[in-house]
Formats: sequence, C-alpha cells, structure tokens
Amino acid sequence: MKSQVKKFGSTLIKGNKAVLMVAILAVALSFLSPIFLTRVNLLNVLRQVCVSTIIGCGFTMVLGSGNIDLSVGSTVGFTSIVMAKAMVAGVPVSVSILLGVITGIIIGIINAGIIIYFKLPPFIVTLAMMQVLRGSCYLTTGMLPVTNVPKEFSWLGQGSVLGIPVPIYIMLLMVVVIWIVVNRTKFGRYLLAIGGNEEAARVSGVNVEKVKIGVFATMGACSALAGMVMSARASSAQPSGGLNMEMDCIAAVVVGGTSMQGGSVNVVGAFFGCLVVGIINNGLNLMGVDSNWQVVAKGLLILFAVILDSVSQKVYGKAR
Amino acid sequence: MLHSRSSPPGLLNRQELVITSKMEEKVLDMKKADDDIILWMKDIEKSFSGVQVLKKVQLMIKAGEVHALVGENGAGKSTLMKILLGIYRKDGGEVIYRGEKMEFHSPADALNRGISMIHQEVCLIPDMTVAENIFLGREDNFSRANVLLDVAKQRKQAKELLERLKLDISIDAKVQELSVAQMQLVELARAVSYDPNIVIMDEPTSALSNTEIEKLFSVIRMLTSQGVSVIFISHKLEEIYEVCDRITVMRDGEYIITSDCSELQEKDLINYIVGRKVDVLYEKEKVEQGEEALRVEGLVRSGTSSEVSFSVKKGEVLGFCGLMGAGRSEILRAVYGIDKKVKGDIYVEGVRQNIYSPKTALKCGIAMVTEDRLRQGVIGALSLVQNVTISMFDRICSGLGFFHPSREKGIFVDIAKKLSIKYAFMDASISNLSGGNQQKAIIGRAMLTNPKVILFDEPTRGIDVGAKAEIYKLIDELAANGLAVVMISSELPELLSLCDRIAVIREGEIVYECEREKATQELLMGYAFGTKG
Repeated sequence: MKSQVKKFGSTLIKGNKAVLMVAILAVALSFLSPIFLTRVNLLNVLRQVCVSTIIGCGFTMVLGSGNIDLSVGSTVGFTSIVMAKAMVAGVPVSVSILLGVITGIIIGIINAGIIIYFKLPPFIVTLAMMQVLRGSCYLTTGMLPVTNVPKEFSWLGQGSVLGIPVPIYIMLLMVVVIWIVVNRTKFGRYLLAIGGNEEAARVSGVNVEKVKIGVFATMGACSALAGMVMSARASSAQPSGGLNMEMDCIAAVVVGGTSMQGGSVNVVGAFFGCLVVGIINNGLNLMGVDSNWQVVAKGLLILFAVILDSVSQKVYGKAR
Repeated sequence: MLHSRSSPPGLLNRQELVITSKMEEKVLDMKKADDDIILWMKDIEKSFSGVQVLKKVQLMIKAGEVHALVGENGAGKSTLMKILLGIYRKDGGEVIYRGEKMEFHSPADALNRGISMIHQEVCLIPDMTVAENIFLGREDNFSRANVLLDVAKQRKQAKELLERLKLDISIDAKVQELSVAQMQLVELARAVSYDPNIVIMDEPTSALSNTEIEKLFSVIRMLTSQGVSVIFISHKLEEIYEVCDRITVMRDGEYIITSDCSELQEKDLINYIVGRKVDVLYEKEKVEQGEEALRVEGLVRSGTSSEVSFSVKKGEVLGFCGLMGAGRSEILRAVYGIDKKVKGDIYVEGVRQNIYSPKTALKCGIAMVTEDRLRQGVIGALSLVQNVTISMFDRICSGLGFFHPSREKGIFVDIAKKLSIKYAFMDASISNLSGGNQQKAIIGRAMLTNPKVILFDEPTRGIDVGAKAEIYKLIDELAANGLAVVMISSELPELLSLCDRIAVIREGEIVYECEREKATQELLMGYAFGTKG
C-alpha cells in the first residue's frame, strides 16, 4: 500500500508538476490581465513555445540518456543559417531544409564522437561546440541577418491551417514522434538504460556508443527543425538565432519531469515545461514588466526546477 | 510489502553510553593483569539489516607486536576494523584502548588518539608532492602568522621522516610520478607521521615487489621496536609467518582463535580459516554431460601475462575458486567481453568466435551474471520488466525497432513465473525488490537470451538463505537443460555442492583442477593460498 501511495505521489510530482504550474499560472494571469485568456494571446503563447518545445523533445532524450548538450542553441542558429543561405542561393526549399537537418545531425555525431572517443564529459565538449558554432554563425553571416527567403518557407512559420498556426502542428508532430521513439522503440529503451546505469547496460549487451551517437544525432535534427520554424517565422535567419536557448531547454525539460540524473524521460512533460516558460514570459509582457525580468525569471525557474528534481529524487528515489 | 528498509545501521544505542561502575572495575582488573595490552576489542557484535555479521568477536593487541588478522573474504575483518575506526558503530561489546573504555567517532578521531590505518587503495592526492601529501590536513602546524604556509619547515620534517624510515623517495616528487609501491610507502610514512600507537595495514603487500616487501617489513620491525603495534591484514600466509608475532583467525563473523605464530602450523591455520563443516547445501541432480560447449584457449587479459585455458561441456557446472583478487572475475569478464584481452581464442560449440563486447558474447550464446549487482546488474531507473527484457530486447522489437508493451509483459510474466520472482508491481523500479529477487531478475535477463553457456560471478552474494537455495536449484536446472555453467564463488561449500568440476585460480592462472568427488576444502584452499602445488 505504502509503495503504491509513494508511486502515485512521485508520478504526481514528477509527471504533473508542469501541468500543475501551467494551471496555476493560467488562473493567476487570467485575473492579472484581461488579455491573457483571449484566443489570440493563447495562440501567441503556443506559437512562442513551438521552437523551444521542438528542441525540448530532443533534449529529453539527451538528459534521459545521462548526457547534456549545451550546443543546442548554437545548432539552432547555425542550421537556420545553412537553410536560409541555401535557399537564397536558389536551392529548392525542401532540399535546403534537408540540408539543414543533415547539418544538425552531423553536429550531433561530432559531439557524440568526441565524447565517446576521448572519454570526455558531455558538458565540456558541447560547451566548446556551442562557442565554435556561434562563432561560425557570426562569421558566415558577417553579423547580418540572411533575408529574402522564399514565401513557401515563411509559410512554415507564419501560415496557418484551420485557424491554427503551422508551427503548432509541427510541434505536436514532434512531441508525438519523440514520444513514440522513447516509449515504443528499442532505441528509446536503450537510451533509458544507459542513462540509468551505463555500465549495466553495456554488460546487458547494449551498444552504448551507438545509442549515444543516435541520441546526439536526434538532438541535432530536432535543433535543425527548431531552427527552421524560427527562421520561417522571422522570414530570415539571424546570426544570434537560438542564443541562450539551451538554458530555456534545461529549465523547461526539467520542470516537465525529466530528471537531470538520467534514466527517465517525460516528453509530454517537456511540452508543458515549455508552456510554463512561455506563460511566464507572456505574463511578464502583458503586465508591462521590464523584459530583462524574463531572464531573471528563467534563471530562477531553472533553480526551482533543479531543486525540485533533487528533492523528489531524495523523497521518491526508490519508488521511481 | 515485499521489501522493507530497516533502520539505518549505526543508530546510537543509549545503553552503550552508560558506563556502570562494574565495568570500570573490570577495566582496572584487566589493566593490572595485562599491562602491555594496548587494545582489547571485546565481544564485539554488529548486524546489518538484521543479518549478524560479527558475533562476539575478540581481538587483543599487545604493545609492540605485529598481529595478523586473517580470514576468508566476508569473515568480518574489515567490519571489525571499521568499528575500531568509528566508521561503523558497534551493536554490542566494548573497545578498551590503553586501559580505557573508548568509542571512536570517526577515523580522524581514531587518528588523533593514535590509531592510523593504511588502506588497500591508495588515498593520496596525485597532483601534490610527497611532503604535501604526508602533512595534508595538518597545514596549521606549519603556518607562519596563521596565514602563510611554512614550506621549508614542512619539507624538513618530511625529509626527516623519510630518512628515519629509510625510504628512498624524493619529498618534492609529485605523487602521480611515483610507482604504486612508492605510493603505498608514502601512505605508510603518512600513517607513521602521526606517531601512532597502532597502525592497521590492510593487504599492504598486494601491490609490492619482493624487495619492496622487504623494505615494508623492515619499517614494520623498526616501528615495533619503538613500541608501536601493527595489525596486519593479509591473505599471504608466508608473509604472515615472516613478519607477525601473533595471529587472530576469524570465520563467518566469529572469533576462532588467537595464537602465537610459532605455535600454529600452517596446515592448522588453513583449517581454522576455512574449517567450516560442509553441510550439503544442495543435492545435485545427476546430469548427462554432452559435447563441449565452451572452450577458452590461451586467454591473456590486457595488463597481465598469465594465460588461462579451460573448457566446459553441456550440462556441466565448472566452479572457479580462489581468494579475492586472484583474478577469477577478470577471467570471466574477459571471456564475456567486458574486459579487453590481448590474445586467446574462444570456441562456442566448437566454432571459434570473435568476442570483443558483451553484445557479441550474447550473440555467440554466452551470457553472464556479474558480481557487482548494483554497478553492473540492475538499472535502477528502469522497471522490473524493463530490466529483465533488456538483453533480448531486439528480439521483442520489429525490424524497424518498434515494440509492443503487451508482448514484452507476456515474455516477462513467463520468465518471472519460471524463476518465481516475487514482485508487487512489475512496472515499479527494480530497486524496490529484495536482493534475492533482484538477482533472480538478472538471471532471468541472462536466460532470456537463450544462451548456450552462462557465467555466474558470485551468484549468491548478499542474498538471504532462502533465495540462495532457489538460486542453487536454478543453476542446477540450467545444467539439466543442457547449458554449460561456469560459476565463481567465494563460498567453498557452495562450489562443493553445485559443481561437477572445480578449478582453483591463483594469481590469474588455473593452478589446480579436479572433479568434485576428489575435492575437499583443505585441498582447494591449499592451492588457493599457494601452500600446495
């Protein structure tokens, strides 16, 4: 009985804390601002969280496998520049997007390759990659946005179907796809196993290296798709696109119930975690607070999320 | 509830703190009777989670003697030492140190009162110099105006210390530049620098060459001539006879005997160490042995030069016995592809196989249940089901890598029934289960891969008696079903009742091999300790 209660308690805290926070924030904001609960504003919030949710989906896998990737923000920026440059040069839209996604995958493979081959901590490797890619963004663009992308491309960020913006469809599709990958495929099971206990997974016959490469490659692909949505919305690729996005991701994903310690993944939670960040930003905007407070709020949210993670690990660690 | 956590060990027992006047009298009596006894651990008791690991253990150390503490793995030597150092709190008995009843609260506390310990693993800081390491934690003694470190003074004292111990090590060398043997001698110097009354040495010679061992022994003799006592924990009987004055033997958490070295013959000593009656733990079924299932030829692990060859037939159980650190696990780990091998061939059912990872081993039909369940067995973040199916997961999945949970559960339920794994929720973390059920789950994981050969490394370590019996039965059934089994165990009775053939491993090599009918504890331990053959 006791363990049942514990298990229930842990699912509530770990799985639904983001849902709970979304509900609380929504109720609070509906009182604080008359605009919050309008259809336009809610769609706006959803549209704003699309980019971070798409990255967040991949990020759950990275954290779940016991790794971290700090280069996601720069990857978003770099791949969007690759796509935009290709399109401006006359490459068809679909091929350009594919090119961007492949670039993202290659970046992921390089990250994983260095981590595996030199047995380095992912934190350092991806931190370095973050710098390399950001510098590359500035160099390739000469600090100027890449503009004049085709209309069909912009539709991916600005268009809407049945009154709902296209990015929201892309985001939901990604959530479903990554959920299936994590919960219904061999790859998903293996990544959880190596996140839970790499040594035991290896002894059990899991090809740890292959799984790691897969995780970082998927992360790269997700970043590229996020880059696509971002630049399509702005009709241009910005040299500073995706800056600091890795921080948003860590906050959102951990608030969404994916543990920093590896071994567990909550993809749907990541979406709600992103919503928490999005609603906080939106709320602060609506109330006319200095936008720099958003940065502070994000920092506090990360702290809050990690503390919550650590506390629930301690309390419910056994009944996970 | 299948699993209950007992209260943490080491909770303070209030009664222990009450010193009755009677006890004080006793202490005084003892003081008069034996003036040169510096440490007396009396009737020490300790249990972990309801399992008693020390039963009224005695240890009496005289001033200036070298006292050997011997026993098999799990005899309780290190638990006893941890109680002495205050790492664990005892449940019963008393420690009388220099005529006073005492309880140390931490290794630092023990150190300040004159008991220092040299651990088996080196605990030095690689980036610091020898002198810095020796006086680490005591920088206050070398401060100028309480702020600046008086390096010259520190170096001078370190130099004097090393000269006194006749150790030829530069005080300015960084520890990482030293050999393992030199590091161990630095540890010794550090222990001595505290001017201790008692130095505990846990397997101090395991990393030393012969000349270095001689050096260590001369330091020990010098210490004892100054009245320092040494507690010498070792498996190497010849060394014990060379350097020790008295011996205390422990077995299964019990005190067996204390004797002068000169009065105790090596043969008798071995008997005391292993002398358990062999209860027939399990009545082995007679199994028809088939063709050869696994043959290992000239296997050399990386980092060693010892060569190993052995083979097992279908339906046969081969046991590996030997002391801790003899290289038993390492051999099987190399066969299974966890550790790297330099050369050697592995044949499964007569076909040479190239095994370089556990994955390839599993593909060839070799499965392994590893020793360290926590580190290399269970994946705590995953559920019971997920833990059991992980090794054969690709066979649950479709070609594209998708799977259906109900199929996975079906497979799990079947095997759980076969192994009678007891669980409350199959989707709850495996960490909720008892050790025995966890082990059964790990065995199930191996069995689901349909192996031809299964390797067990200490399959019954840390599980209760009932679960042990079930695991014996399981191993027997596996053999009866035509699997070849290789098992490592530190418990001889286990090997003697389960195995068809037993091999003794010593220093990474198979030094002896015999059928079960011919094997006795004395014979096997004789080879394991190196007094035979």
